[in-house]
Amino acid sequence: MLTHKKRFTKRGRVTAAGLLLLLVAAACGGEEAADPQQAAEATGPIKIWYSNNPEEIAWGEKIVKQWNADNPDEEVTGQEIPAGETSEEVIQAAISAGNAPCLVYNTAPAAVPQFQKQGGLVNLSDFPDADSYIEERTGADAAQYQSPEGGYYQMPWKTNPVMIFYNKKIFEQAGLDAENPPLTTHDEFLETGQTLIDEGGVEAAIWPAPTSEFFQSWFDFYPLFIAETGGTPLVEDGQAQFASDAGLQVADFWSQIYENGLAKKEAYNGDAFGEEKSAMAIVGPWAIAVYGESIDWGVVPVPTADGTPPEETFTFSDEKSVGMYSACENRGTAWEFLKESTSEANDGALLDATGQMPTRPNLTDTFSDYFDKNPEYTPFAEQANRLQEVPVVENSIEMWQTFRDSYSQSVIFGKQSPDDAFPEAADQIESLVSEG
Amino acid sequence: MALLAALAAGGLLFLFPFYYTIVGSLQLEPNADISGAFPSPGNFSLENYAAINEALNLGRTLLNSGIFTAGVIIATLALGLLAGYALAQLDFRGRGVIFNAMLLVLIVPFQLLMIPLYVMIVRYYGLADNYLGMILPFAVNPTAVFIFRQFFKQIPVDLFDAARIDGASEFQVLRRVAIPIATPAIITAIIVTFIGPWNEFLWPFLITKEQSLQPLAVALANYISNVAARAANPFGAILAGATVLAVPAVVLFVATQRWFVQAQLGSSVKG
Amino acid sequence: MATIAATAPRARRIRRALGRHPVGLLFVLPYAAFLVLVYAYPLGLAVYMSFYDYFFAAPGAVVERPFVGFDNYTTAFGDAIFLESLGNVVTFLVINVPLTVALSLVLATALNAKLPLRGFFRTAYYIPYVTASVAVIGVWLWLFSDTGLVNSALGPVAPAPPWLVNEFWAMPMIAFFATWKQLGFYVVLYLAALQNIPSDLYDAASVDGAGALKSFRHVTVPGVRPATTLVVILSTIVGANFFTEPYLLTGGGGPNNSSVSPVLHMYRRGIEQGDAGYAAAIGVLLAIGVIVISMVNRFILERD
Repeated sequence: MLTHKKRFTKRGRVTAAGLLLLLVAAACGGEEAADPQQAAEATGPIKIWYSNNPEEIAWGEKIVKQWNADNPDEEVTGQEIPAGETSEEVIQAAISAGNAPCLVYNTAPAAVPQFQKQGGLVNLSDFPDADSYIEERTGADAAQYQSPEGGYYQMPWKTNPVMIFYNKKIFEQAGLDAENPPLTTHDEFLETGQTLIDEGGVEAAIWPAPTSEFFQSWFDFYPLFIAETGGTPLVEDGQAQFASDAGLQVADFWSQIYENGLAKKEAYNGDAFGEEKSAMAIVGPWAIAVYGESIDWGVVPVPTADGTPPEETFTFSDEKSVGMYSACENRGTAWEFLKESTSEANDGALLDATGQMPTRPNLTDTFSDYFDKNPEYTPFAEQANRLQEVPVVENSIEMWQTFRDSYSQSVIFGKQSPDDAFPEAADQIESLVSEG
Repeated sequence: MALLAALAAGGLLFLFPFYYTIVGSLQLEPNADISGAFPSPGNFSLENYAAINEALNLGRTLLNSGIFTAGVIIATLALGLLAGYALAQLDFRGRGVIFNAMLLVLIVPFQLLMIPLYVMIVRYYGLADNYLGMILPFAVNPTAVFIFRQFFKQIPVDLFDAARIDGASEFQVLRRVAIPIATPAIITAIIVTFIGPWNEFLWPFLITKEQSLQPLAVALANYISNVAARAANPFGAILAGATVLAVPAVVLFVATQRWFVQAQLGSSVKG
Repeated sequence: MATIAATAPRARRIRRALGRHPVGLLFVLPYAAFLVLVYAYPLGLAVYMSFYDYFFAAPGAVVERPFVGFDNYTTAFGDAIFLESLGNVVTFLVINVPLTVALSLVLATALNAKLPLRGFFRTAYYIPYVTASVAVIGVWLWLFSDTGLVNSALGPVAPAPPWLVNEFWAMPMIAFFATWKQLGFYVVLYLAALQNIPSDLYDAASVDGAGALKSFRHVTVPGVRPATTLVVILSTIVGANFFTEPYLLTGGGGPNNSSVSPVLHMYRRGIEQGDAGYAAAIGVLLAIGVIVISMVNRFILERD
């Protein structure tokens, strides 16, 4: 029942035949996947999905229009990703149904191992010029997106380097230096946080979501851990890294934040930073467009225990990749379009439209015009030179969920000491990532 | 009188969130204080409705909800009355098996079936972005069949036997005797069935990638999760959308209220 | 006489093979086909999956899904979050079922009396049921937030952290929400059942000198017993399958999984984390649990 070979896809036939025929069809449905060899060279119309925020839609529509004008025989149909609870769920459903589009410009690296395991992704390295194209465009960071066997199942596309955004008005109200805020070391950060609560009239100094979704650690623990270790991922060579001294130091920092009430243990139904309920937020450059007009903001790198100079601080990249999905029949066209859409000119257009950072080295040189005109984006562009991604490992999402549950239990809710909880979680995670 | 007061207090408590939804949907600036629970002319605006209509195309999404829901109700009544009557009043081999299967179906979490169903409907039958694909998994509401079965079960066999002795076929018995007395059950079933597809969000969301085919509940949920953060008064716009989504269901219920009363007064069948 | 004698044995044979009304088979056939198509086949697939290290794959992809026997099931019983979610179901049922049965029966009895504004009251209690969760959860979030109306009204006695993000209150809040949302439906079931109690039973009771309370206890309660069975079974099923509430109302089963539900856990493991075999095993366990509880309920409530 599980391997379906016969074709039964004609819509009209089914609608006419009614329920009973559908029943028969249940026993012998199915569709063959595209033949990889042929598909790699095939050209013709393709479908793509892009993210569903207005800026990226505008960018996507423009690129598609341009392409279609130049390549009338290889028409690209773009649409925003069908919105759902998570994009990953939508993509996964599309993979198993065999109707994923050729390219999704919103593929989370954390989900890539799972999609790969499902046979849902095309190994881009199968295209002869892919490795060189990706490595040249992305630079040294490209290695972070390679599968353990060495193939690129994703093309790194754009990052949102995570930094600390702060509200200058609230800092001034609290009597703090709003231009050079004391936020470099853990101790300074804690002290500043206390001042903000006492004098700044805010409910929380900073308000990361204390909820249990697997990805929430990317916006509290993980960036600080990356900064503390100078760019170590959560797991390296099959070994969990977070139960180390550095990891526990970061855990201790957040424990104190929650214990002293500098952050709330409950989720805020709304935008705590936007509504000035909190004085700081952990965000990427997208925040400039969102808060730029209503809040007088400043930005600093995430803190470390002893304080790291900004030009040496690493952080989490919050990157989105482009994936090519195996349901794609005209992969030749898809690959050409993927290259075209990530050309220097189109990357510039992306930066211009969204403020998000194309995964290229030395952004401030490559797009100097843009950063001259929009200097407020420069700190993020400079931060983009020191990024760490989520590790590309088996059971990646399950790993993040395991970590999140352990963190939530120990750091946020104080039910257990991180000294006990983290080594336990590390054991579980090591066995998860080694289950090949 | 005390009973009436208690009922009134309870009713108001039950209705309060709806009242509050409407009040909130008409506020220009969201106001969570106690004073915000009262409409204030200084803070009144239809802006939120305009905003949500612009974002969702209410006419189109309401039409989609209507088609989805109507398809489900028609299929439920057609197949459900047949099955409910047979399960309650006819004696045939396999009745027990089917009845137990029906109970089982009420229990299975839809989330469990969702992905296999999705694969079947989209991959095998090619019904993605199609009303039929949206309707199929909901086509017969098992609760409605259960209601029919329970209803017909309570009716004495003699009533049907009389028609049978006159030489009516079983189908005629169903049409001429069973269905006419089943109005309360049918109306209950329609309402129970109506809210399933009308309020469902996960399934039509999975099956419709094209925005022009999405029902309102899906469009509103998408709005809440994606677009709202950027709207001027997202809370107000969401409440406005919620009001639009709630009104048809409420209107339907208020309209059928009359039937309820009539059907109960006219019901000549007593256990 | 002769023809009857000749056809009788044949009719009896058919009757023995197919029952007295073989046409009934024809009547249920479309529905049975629907059940097979939409439930049995995917359900069979789910049971099959639960014995494998199963994950969803692209059509035509060659993937390895080893048979793992009962591994998924043994994992479930050692999974702290799964066990916690079962505990949450118990909390839910303990609050929801008695509250639902008591309130809906009392309300139905009251609404069945000839009261002014009866139509209005029925509507009032039914409206939450007919409204989409997506629509009402928004206003609940707002009402019960930190600075929401409820806490503004309660002032200093408001719990901190507020209701929906409070480890103690999150789960009861979901149970209250579900009771509020579903109650109207059960009231209607009881109203229908009340119609079937012959009025002479009440007459007889009042002749015997029974007051309103007494006739409620001795006539109404036994008279609607089949409906009570249905109400208890249906609300048990709702309790075992709740998903939207922890997902939207308490921010994904929070805080710290104190309101996680088995279906939410299943959704996370199966759909978010791609471990469909394990999710299927949870689903199968859940379905078995509900069947057992329903059978016990039926046995207790329907015995005479």
